[in-house]
Amino acid sequence: MLIMIPTLFVISALVFGIIKLPPGDFISNRIQELKSQGESGALDKIEFLRQQYGLDRPAIEQYAIWIGVWPKDGQFQGILQGDWGWSMEYNRPVGELVGDRLLLTFIVNFATILFVYVVSFPIGVYSAVRQYSIGDYSFTLLGYLGLATPNFLLALVLLYYSNVHFGLQIGGLFDEQYIDAPWSLAKIQNLMAHLLIPTIVIGTSGTAAMIRRLRANLLDELQKQYVVTGRAKGLPPLRLLIKYPIRMALNPFVAEIGAILRQAVSGSVIVSVVMNLPTSGPMLLAALESQDQYLAGSFLLFLALLTVVGVLISDLLLAVLDPRIRLEGGAQK
Amino acid sequence: MSVWSRLLPFSALTPVAAALICATAALPAWALDYKEPTMLQADVAAGKLPPVAQRLPATPLVEEMDGKTRQVGKSGGDARMLIGRARDVRMISVYGYSRLVGYDEKFELKPDILKSIDVEDDRVFTMHLRPGHKWSDGKPFTSEDFRYWWEDVTNNKDLSPAGPIVDLMIEGELPKVEIIDKETVRYSWSRRNPFFLQRLAGAAPLYIYRPAHYLKQFHAKYADKAALEAKAEEANARSWAELHNRLDTMGHFTNPDMPTLEPWNIATRPPAIRFVAVRNPYFHRVDPKGMQLPYWDRLIVNQADGKLIPAKSAAGEVDVQARNIAFNNFTFLKENEKRSAYRTFLWRTARGSQMALYPNLNANDPVWRELNRDVRFRRALSVAIDRQGINASLYFGLALESNNTVLPDSPLFKEVYQKAWTEFDTKLANKLLDEIGLTKRNPDGVRLLKDGRPLEIIVETSGEDTEQTDVLELIRDNWQKVGIKLFTKPSQREVLKNRIYAGETTMSIWYGLENGIPTAAMSPGELAPLLQDSMQWPKWGQFYETKGQSGEAPDMPAPKELFDLYGEWLNATNDQQRTEIWHKMLKTYTENEFSIGIVSGVPQPVVVGNAVRNVPEEGIYNFDPGAFFGVYRMSSFWFDR
Repeated sequence: MLIMIPTLFVISALVFGIIKLPPGDFISNRIQELKSQGESGALDKIEFLRQQYGLDRPAIEQYAIWIGVWPKDGQFQGILQGDWGWSMEYNRPVGELVGDRLLLTFIVNFATILFVYVVSFPIGVYSAVRQYSIGDYSFTLLGYLGLATPNFLLALVLLYYSNVHFGLQIGGLFDEQYIDAPWSLAKIQNLMAHLLIPTIVIGTSGTAAMIRRLRANLLDELQKQYVVTGRAKGLPPLRLLIKYPIRMALNPFVAEIGAILRQAVSGSVIVSVVMNLPTSGPMLLAALESQDQYLAGSFLLFLALLTVVGVLISDLLLAVLDPRIRLEGGAQK
Repeated sequence: MSVWSRLLPFSALTPVAAALICATAALPAWALDYKEPTMLQADVAAGKLPPVAQRLPATPLVEEMDGKTRQVGKSGGDARMLIGRARDVRMISVYGYSRLVGYDEKFELKPDILKSIDVEDDRVFTMHLRPGHKWSDGKPFTSEDFRYWWEDVTNNKDLSPAGPIVDLMIEGELPKVEIIDKETVRYSWSRRNPFFLQRLAGAAPLYIYRPAHYLKQFHAKYADKAALEAKAEEANARSWAELHNRLDTMGHFTNPDMPTLEPWNIATRPPAIRFVAVRNPYFHRVDPKGMQLPYWDRLIVNQADGKLIPAKSAAGEVDVQARNIAFNNFTFLKENEKRSAYRTFLWRTARGSQMALYPNLNANDPVWRELNRDVRFRRALSVAIDRQGINASLYFGLALESNNTVLPDSPLFKEVYQKAWTEFDTKLANKLLDEIGLTKRNPDGVRLLKDGRPLEIIVETSGEDTEQTDVLELIRDNWQKVGIKLFTKPSQREVLKNRIYAGETTMSIWYGLENGIPTAAMSPGELAPLLQDSMQWPKWGQFYETKGQSGEAPDMPAPKELFDLYGEWLNATNDQQRTEIWHKMLKTYTENEFSIGIVSGVPQPVVVGNAVRNVPEEGIYNFDPGAFFGVYRMSSFWFDR
């Protein structure tokens, strides 16, 4: 568990280094952009900003300030102190910006995970139990289609047709009138209606992959001796299935949690951009493009943290679920 | 003082000044019975807001409505539009286009916020405010707001560490700023400043005033020190100056507390994806019937990914939209007109060229540099391009096949500038290339440079615009016929610019002249080697920009001539002289093909809801001058429903 801390440190350095790699910085990007629009007049505050953001200092120092091991203007103000830094693009603390979007990000991704599990579990089990039946083949075909279709394309197609045929607004998670409204039953309903397409789009490939994995695992188990024994002893087929092989085949479901938590923030970036969802993905992408280094860096670090924590959670859950893992781990100690 | 300047005979003034004064020849505004916009009636009745006559300046600006393209309309309604990035909320100040002086739809300068302005010899500018003009919070707008900006903002070391804004300097000289009385301010220089009014009228203008009453509470000179420090601390700012600069969002529309003179003020505090701007109850324009403008109560500006904006527009989610829509969306938009109840207008654009090739005259490679500097070579490249073919295959033939020069909308336009060396003529191109001595070819038919390398031109692009790469594909086929090979090398804007500055590129592709619709009074600077950003002569531009500290001095006769002509233009005393200089420069520039324009005037689709009135069917879509919808006065757009 303690290995998490150095891991995160290394990740933070890598993240910052990579953000710094492209030539120029936020300010020079901004200058180029203003100039290309013929807005040289807006350049008056640029020097002020460069100093204010500390972009005139060496990269190592900027990194140390961001982490909070180097003082800026006599103060330690960094991630270690709980300050995620300052977004230059939005001119606001990163913490404030990210918070607003994380909730919606979690809603979208929670819905997606739910969709993946709810759809893939019965289909996966069915395909394994009725291997090579018509049902298995048709689900397999669908699954491969789901895996093979780039999800941004699926997003565009669904957006267009749902707009033309159902009058759903293109992109976004709410209708116009609900965007600024406080939370209410109507707003939640509105959100639900808008969640449908993103959920399907983001979840399709995950569902397909999960079906295949569950099917393969279950098939392995179904051929094992204990299943044959159980059947020979006259256990009802359904009870047999649920009691033994399915439990064994559940491992990948749980092991996925680590990956899913990470995906909750990053995995759906492209779809979110295409569908104009007010989640964290588009903001991360924009931050990287404009080299808004603290916003992008904090986002990525947060992702890393989620991955690390997710792996930990799934390890713990696996140990709870599967005695073999628990015992093997214990044996090593 | 202001009296004698006004009494000067017109001949002593520049024509611009004359026009300005004529335009202010008092309209009978006082005769009007002002009408209250519906939205504000309740507040007025409840006593929360003074009645309209007290909110307006003593002489409001009466918008002219000719009854044809512009009709007197109805007040009310929320107009929806889309932006690609949150930062683009500043477009509200561009569309609102409330300026001290501004362009009208004929691109002539007229006073707007100012009641009038007297200009002497382009040196002395005396501005007269409208008595009784108020900020959007109801506080008076006076010369104190000008003084505050000049003394306490731009001349304050903490707020402007780099010193007063360079835009106000003429050859290093700052203006003399006099606050004459409550409604009169004078800026004067000892030399001519032909840019001053244009900068005030810009789409992203030079704001020489600030709402002093609001900002003073954040200024160390006026506010209580302890309270100010507490405020800065609370806002997570490291100094009062940072707080002041952050809150002083003139033209950016990110601070709802900051009063404005624009037709709408932002009411949404960022971060958000849906921004609402609400009418300014103290706005200074009225329609001919006395109804206070703007007609629209609110602007609802939603942020969406730029690539979704055409689709969302086609789904009827906007009332007026042109931003993030490109010409290649036109057919798609037309197709959906009926379904979503809107019209698609095609406006003209004002860039000198949609895109142009820039041979680098400062290339490091001596062989390429010599070749790029040979006018026959540049002409050969130009006539080897089949512009008609490009126009037909990419723009449905709706664009103009043209050099990178002024457009027909400009009074300076001559057909010869547009057409010189643009006629597709492979024979002529071959003849010119042979004349230069590029006669040897390799087995593939590609000509050889004099040191034996094949004539392979690498055109570098910023990789942002697929349109550029498409055009380069077509040019490649054209050039193959004259024995020139073209390669496209996409990179990234920042990288590309640095390579160009350093002379590492042989050729690049970029947009054409920023302003293709200039009048003689506008600067011809883009045609001369003044800026490092000019991709055909980056090092000469750098030389001028750094006053000779780095870069190279121009060493070719024609660019030198352009540079000298620009100097003459700066010192010209009347428009006739300026026009002559412009024509000389345009002639030299196009004759020499310093940049090779491909097509220009690519139309801009403008989506306009069926109920929206007063948006002209034909217009010019340009940032500066133009402010996009600004010169067409968005404050008088209205809903007929």
